[in-house]
Amino acid sequence: MRTVIRFIMLLLTAVVLQRFLFDQFRIGDIAADAFLVLAVATGVVCGARQGAIIGFCAGLIFDLLVVTPFGLGALSYLVAGAVGGLLEGVVVHSARWITMLVAFIASAAGVLFFALLGSLIGTAGMIGGHLVTVTILVAGSTSVLVLPTRRVVKWASSYSDPLRAAVHS
Amino acid sequence: MAPRRSTGRSRSTVILLVLTAITLLTLSGRGFGPLDSARSVVSSAVSPVGDAARWVFGPFSDAWNAAFDHGDLVQRNDELAQENDRLRGELIEGTVATQQLQELLQLVGIPFVGDTPVVHTRVISGSVGNFGDTIELDKGSTSGVVKGMPVITGRGLIGRVKLVGEDRCTVELITGGSFRVGFLVIGTSAVGVAEGFGRPTILRGTNIDVAQTVSDGQIAVTAGLRGSSFPPNIPIGTVQSVRSDESSRQTIVDISMFASTRDLTYADVVLWTPVG
Repeated sequence: MRTVIRFIMLLLTAVVLQRFLFDQFRIGDIAADAFLVLAVATGVVCGARQGAIIGFCAGLIFDLLVVTPFGLGALSYLVAGAVGGLLEGVVVHSARWITMLVAFIASAAGVLFFALLGSLIGTAGMIGGHLVTVTILVAGSTSVLVLPTRRVVKWASSYSDPLRAAVHS
Repeated sequence: MAPRRSTGRSRSTVILLVLTAITLLTLSGRGFGPLDSARSVVSSAVSPVGDAARWVFGPFSDAWNAAFDHGDLVQRNDELAQENDRLRGELIEGTVATQQLQELLQLVGIPFVGDTPVVHTRVISGSVGNFGDTIELDKGSTSGVVKGMPVITGRGLIGRVKLVGEDRCTVELITGGSFRVGFLVIGTSAVGVAEGFGRPTILRGTNIDVAQTVSDGQIAVTAGLRGSSFPPNIPIGTVQSVRSDESSRQTIVDISMFASTRDLTYADVVLWTPVG
């Protein structure tokens, strides 16, 4: 129950951060995506299943804030969270740069999935030169922001590093 | 056995979530009302946060944008300086042209929005996220704004109201391509359907009967046919290029919009709802 409440707090924080900060500070009219960062960070810390669940919830909230087809964000962020978890799961030693790379790939997968599926179901203007820029900038910002977010997700999920626990025991 | 059970549970959870998302997508595609209502409620609830953010971070945000758009701003400044020189020279000619346009519109019985009341609004933010061309206006249902109403600037159509809160509304811009508008080419009986395709000032007009003659420079206005989401005679733009597609028996045109959807500060919501 405590974990659920903490994740709800994180999701609300993501809303505030997105509206309060990220939407105000754009590069080339492209903003970092707090929901994607949270989804990917959860996948990286807690695994694919948790990443998918939090990605779905974050995507649902995102869907409530935009006018793109409802459910598109939920499905795409679910994919990003799951991909983040799956990739991190196959990494033996998770160095910081590897986590950043995983976050980059997972968030790029989420953005591309969002655009491709959106285009498939008839939303115009999703695919084009703009998509490459959006993917690179959003994935880049996610790969940086995932590092501090990872710590918060660890707190929310009451995560204990098995390696560290073994060393301390 | 435990890991297999865990994997199975993970899989079923993810499948359940995927199916839920697909159901939501389907409902959204069918125009399921409660989803829009939920969006309106959330938009109203979150908007004070956005207002506070703009108040607190506005100066920093402007500085940030100026830093990252410096190259664009310099280029734009040069272009504006050149355009200013050109416009000075064309001022008289432009005044005459404007008068001619107004006379032309009157001649064919086209008053700009006519007697339909409008609500003057201020643009308070752009879109959330990186997809979907939207803007947020500072008026909502308390000012009579209803979902689907057309949104214009002094120069022509820019979009329609998508979500309505009490004191704000979200407008989807026509350039985003998320909806279509029926248009009529003035001086002809050519009607077609215009929609955006990701370019900030150009719309694509299709479904024009090839038997109709359309040429560059002609003015396109909303057709306002029965059941249309838009009233008739809102200026859209001028026909920029014309080509015929013999296989589909239609003429396709590009329409250069009168109004720009970039850097908007003010916009008017036309208090008009479709009839029939």
